[in-house]
Amino acid sequence: MAEVQQKDGGGDKKHKKVRAKKSSTHIDMTPMVDLAFLLLTFFIMTTTFSKPKTMEINMPVKPKYSTEQQKVKESQALTILLTDKDKIVWYKGLMGGEKTPETQVADFSLTSAASIHKVILESNRSIFDKVQMVKDSLGRGLLKEDDAKKHIGEIKGDKDGLVVLIKPSEKAKYKNVVDILDEMNVCAVGRFAIVDISDPEVELLKTVQ
Amino acid sequence: MPKIKVPKKAPSLDMTPMVDLAFLLVTFFMLTTKFRPEEPVLVDTPSSVSEIKLPDRDIMMITVDADGRIFYDVDGKQTRATILQKMAEHYKIAFTDKEVNKFSILTSIGMPMENLKNYLDADDNSRKAMNKQTKGIPADSLHNELSDWINFGRHANSKYRIAIKGDGQANYPVVKAVIKTLQDNKVNKFNLITNLEAETNAGTK
Repeated sequence: MAEVQQKDGGGDKKHKKVRAKKSSTHIDMTPMVDLAFLLLTFFIMTTTFSKPKTMEINMPVKPKYSTEQQKVKESQALTILLTDKDKIVWYKGLMGGEKTPETQVADFSLTSAASIHKVILESNRSIFDKVQMVKDSLGRGLLKEDDAKKHIGEIKGDKDGLVVLIKPSEKAKYKNVVDILDEMNVCAVGRFAIVDISDPEVELLKTVQ
Repeated sequence: MPKIKVPKKAPSLDMTPMVDLAFLLVTFFMLTTKFRPEEPVLVDTPSSVSEIKLPDRDIMMITVDADGRIFYDVDGKQTRATILQKMAEHYKIAFTDKEVNKFSILTSIGMPMENLKNYLDADDNSRKAMNKQTKGIPADSLHNELSDWINFGRHANSKYRIAIKGDGQANYPVVKAVIKTLQDNKVNKFNLITNLEAETNAGTK
């Protein structure tokens, strides 16, 4: 097993000096090595390198007066209602207008026909493409990281861009909310808000199910 | 045909480099490993593509488990003691030095104030049992202890970042109550702790 290799001082043999008898300096290192590997395995097994990741969200500051609340233009709004069993009901436009907007059902999968990812991506296509372009040029080294970030911030903050209103119902799971927020990230939606669900929308959910 | 003679040689191998490497790795892992204290609840966080790392220090963590119970955790021994003393004053419960000490070395707390004294006096095993039974920190609008915890926490250390660690299966209304409490305390910027999404999934996006 593991041995420390020792050089014999062979050259000295010519001089017939009386020397102390050399005892072998070979130490059996096997137990030590065994222990070292044991520790190694232990630490490898117990170490987790994946630190938890976080998602930063900014909630809008509560306005002091209700009149200060921002109005969302009807053409820009996309409302996503989250309900039980990972189901999503979404509609474009706003409630309470002349006509009730048409609702559609979607799910969280990426590939299905009724994928919410596709819906958001389609609605946000122009901004998404612009952000993608900036990211491409960042990847090719044409832009500095700070500049790219600033650009993306500007593009996402476009006043005429899509505004997504996320309204989780009482039955929604926390996972659904995180998934949707994640989707905002992926689809480069800069303007979104988590809003309390309104009564007409609760009624609406009942009719859809 | 002449036989090919295999030269007899001792099958010993110089293992020194391997052992060196092994020790190097052992040292590395020993130095980098930080043992995590045991959490009272297991939380399965949802995944996201976000790659922002959670800072190591100055974190105020609000945990929501799958049953919708709320737990509160801050780091820093000194700060924890300060926060508990403030809470004690506010709720007019006297804690002994021993209890304050115990509080400062524990992790997440999911006890209403009235049970906290018993919880801190209990031994480890009964504490585990209590954690199973507890209803978590009350955060409803009538009796919002979480709000006080957050408030005193931020007074004790203004650098605290607030993170919500929610179980994916937790009902949203509980998380909403937490967020509302945060907003009432003028915290509009906080973090949601998530796992990194599996690579295959993120690749298709």
